[in-house]
Amino acid sequence: MNGTWSDPVAWAALAPLFALAGALANGFFGRRWREPLPGVVAGVAVGAAFVVSAIAFVGLIGRDAGVALTLWSFLPVAGLDVSVGVVIDALSATFLLVITGVGLLIHVYSVDYMRDDEENARYFALLNLFVASMLVLVLADSLVLVFVGWEGVGVCSYLLIGFWFRKKANADAGRKAFIVNRIGDAGFVLASFLAAATFGTLTIAEINAQAGTFAFGAGVLTTIGLLYLVAATGKSAQFPLHVWLPDAMAGPTPVSALIHAATMVTAGVYLIARLSPLYAQAPAASAVVAWVGVLTALIAAIAALAQTDIKRILAYSTISQLGFMFVAIGVGAYAAAVFHVFTHAFFKALLFLAAGSVIHALHGEQDVRRMGGLGRRMRLTGATALIGTLAISGVPLLSGFFSKEAILGGTWNSTLVEDYGSRLLFVLLLATAGLTAFYMFRWYHRVFAGPSRLTKDAAAKVHESSPLMTVPLMLLAAFAALAGFLGLPSFAFPNWFKDWLAPALAQVPTLHPPLWVEWLLVLASVVVAAAGLFAGWWIYERGKGAIAAKAGGGSLGRFAEGGLGFDAAYRAAAVGPAEGVAGGLAVADRDLLDRGIAAGVTTSSLIGRAVAAWQSGYVRLYALAMFLGLAALAVVAAVVGGRP
Amino acid sequence: MNVPTEAYVALSAVLFAIGAMGVLVRRSAIMVFLSVELMLNAANLAIVAYARHWAGFDALAGLTGQTVVFIVLAVAAAEVAVGLAILIAIFRDRASTDVDGLAEVRL
Amino acid sequence: MATFVVLAVVMVVGALGVVLLKQPIHAALSLVGTLLALAITYVTLEATFLAAVQVIVYAGAIMVLFLFVLMLLNVQDAGPRRSLPGLRWAAYAAAVVTATAIAVVAFWDGRPAPDPAVVSLHLQGGSAGGIGDALFGELLLAFHLVGVLLLTGVVGAVALVQRRAESAHGAPKGGGLGAGRDASGTKAHALGSGGRR
Repeated sequence: MNGTWSDPVAWAALAPLFALAGALANGFFGRRWREPLPGVVAGVAVGAAFVVSAIAFVGLIGRDAGVALTLWSFLPVAGLDVSVGVVIDALSATFLLVITGVGLLIHVYSVDYMRDDEENARYFALLNLFVASMLVLVLADSLVLVFVGWEGVGVCSYLLIGFWFRKKANADAGRKAFIVNRIGDAGFVLASFLAAATFGTLTIAEINAQAGTFAFGAGVLTTIGLLYLVAATGKSAQFPLHVWLPDAMAGPTPVSALIHAATMVTAGVYLIARLSPLYAQAPAASAVVAWVGVLTALIAAIAALAQTDIKRILAYSTISQLGFMFVAIGVGAYAAAVFHVFTHAFFKALLFLAAGSVIHALHGEQDVRRMGGLGRRMRLTGATALIGTLAISGVPLLSGFFSKEAILGGTWNSTLVEDYGSRLLFVLLLATAGLTAFYMFRWYHRVFAGPSRLTKDAAAKVHESSPLMTVPLMLLAAFAALAGFLGLPSFAFPNWFKDWLAPALAQVPTLHPPLWVEWLLVLASVVVAAAGLFAGWWIYERGKGAIAAKAGGGSLGRFAEGGLGFDAAYRAAAVGPAEGVAGGLAVADRDLLDRGIAAGVTTSSLIGRAVAAWQSGYVRLYALAMFLGLAALAVVAAVVGGRP
Repeated sequence: MNVPTEAYVALSAVLFAIGAMGVLVRRSAIMVFLSVELMLNAANLAIVAYARHWAGFDALAGLTGQTVVFIVLAVAAAEVAVGLAILIAIFRDRASTDVDGLAEVRL
Repeated sequence: MATFVVLAVVMVVGALGVVLLKQPIHAALSLVGTLLALAITYVTLEATFLAAVQVIVYAGAIMVLFLFVLMLLNVQDAGPRRSLPGLRWAAYAAAVVTATAIAVVAFWDGRPAPDPAVVSLHLQGGSAGGIGDALFGELLLAFHLVGVLLLTGVVGAVALVQRRAESAHGAPKGGGLGAGRDASGTKAHALGSGGRR
């Protein structure tokens, strides 16, 4: 299915170029521009990318297959022919719209948020570069190009997390993200090697085509699947590589919104979704994906209960929601996973930007214990944040409800992981959904509702943010509220989203229980969400948070706050020894250098002094030298001698 | 000839070694000189012994060897004269004839 | 043979005396003894003229000269032995090694012994006549050079011990190998310190 440039859909391949052009412009010239020019340039770049993405999207409606375009041949070697090309089908178009659309809103928001920062141009250059890399990732037709984008977003994430690098904590956070990502990247590379060896190609379409020819549950497919899972785990912050995401909140809030809510962290989901035919043939690997997802979701939800930083709560929430997505792709509900990516991008970005609005208004305060009642002072922010909270909690008719429902339904009805405990997965996921509602209520209440715990001068200065910040909030809130209707539960209603994605994803057969079972599942999720919200209301509104304070102050609470001990464990197991080795090497190096050079100096001076001793002026010494020489000669004569 | 030439040579070697020892061990310059004379005489002994040895094979060798020793003797005499003069010149105004004190002699 | 052994013992003892005796006069006299024994050895080696010359020139003139200088300079050889540790043992070792090696060379490198009769014939007992033949025959050039050498030696010796015009206090300027002698200071400095250059 090779497309041509005359096809408007193919023009979406230009999207990364627009973003790259913005990045280069800001990178080279941005410093000389006065605000808000860097932001405008960046926004226009992403806007252009959005336009071509929208054109592609419209062009693809009604079409069955996507457009594949080979741009040039990259590595034509015997046995493996890698070329650079793009694939624009339903899946990539969906992601394109999310990336460029949400990205555009965040760019607009950033113009105000980063207004007085001296490194405004650098910020926008990096943000554009990130968008360019992410677009390359989702447009790529071969795993090699995916990896290029993969690495690109990793680097940009590092640079943006550590944007205010002069503070050590920020630089450390960036480094932590990069290193943990790297572990995942190793998995990616290994998987690609194995894939190249197994399939003889790295082009995704061909791999997917060949996957069906392997035996169901073939070992090599499982191995490849597991290795790509490692890669996805690193990028999407799943257990056990999730530790970088909470620290990544050190970056500017719009960055957190874009990268760590809407786009980069979904790259893992995208990868597995892209390779869905492969995973559909490897139930063991899919089961591992699902279980990793649910464990992550649960762990992160528990940790979120105890956090006190407004952004860290959302970070753990992101990890948890990503877990939901992983469960979805693990059980074979690929469309549900992408749907959740879609809705999550809206409400999570919304929540982060609202948090950013609050932080901006409070001039950098991020501790929720010093917030409260802000909904009364910042009406727009508070209202949109409420919508986001309700959406993520799964309140019916908002977008989160539909996407979570799709995941839960898909889990219960999964045939792919039926033998791997799909029902248990469902129960755990349901519990996590309840926890989600609870901790999000807590988040909302601590920040926007209840009595004000602001400091005196913070309270004086707080004000609603400018339209540049609130308009994106409102737009995102609208999407968060309404986008769900694109994917109504498929057992009873037309699910436009699922149908749209069908050509691009593997179709896994599912169970079809009677209708009342399906409605029961829906009811279960509604009940659980209500219970979570009610519990939150009971504890925080009615009880003024007393019970929570007692629970949170105990050792269990502190354990949860510390991310369930993962950071401490990693520090002890890996970072500590590594620092020990590095320190030891540094000492050895210093000693070697110092002592080595000193030894060299000492040796030369020793030799010098020894030689100088012969120049003492003592005639007896000279005579001794001569005598010794004579003795030596005599010995030589005796030994060698001219015997006849 | 009941005493072989080698015996005389060995004796000469011993005297030479003792003389060399004396050159190194003695502190006074004049005693060093004395030891040098000893070495010289040891060498003379060796030459005379070999002169006698080769006289058995060559008509002139023996006498030539002895004459050489004669000349060496003359040279030694001249050397002693000049050497002692030098030593007197150096040590006349010093209290000691310590050889090690010559370390400061600048040539 | 017995003669040789006796003479050898005397010579070695005398040599050791030169090296080891503390008083310089004793050492000089020890050397005289060695030289006399050496002269007798020459006789046994059929070098009679040489023996006579040895006694007259060496023991008689050179050693006398030594004794004169010793008495003139009042040499003391008992100084502190601190400046070159290990020198003595190095010297002893080198001496032993050298003597042994040369002896080894002599004995191992043996040539057939000559016929005594032929030796006596050729050496003519080492008489003056024979020496004279060689001296004015084959070694004529050496003879003349020795003459020049002796003349040079005499002139040099006299010149070396000359004092230039100096004050009555005996502080000569220049003259000989002055070791940087200033008016007065360095003398004390040169004594006994044995410092390095």
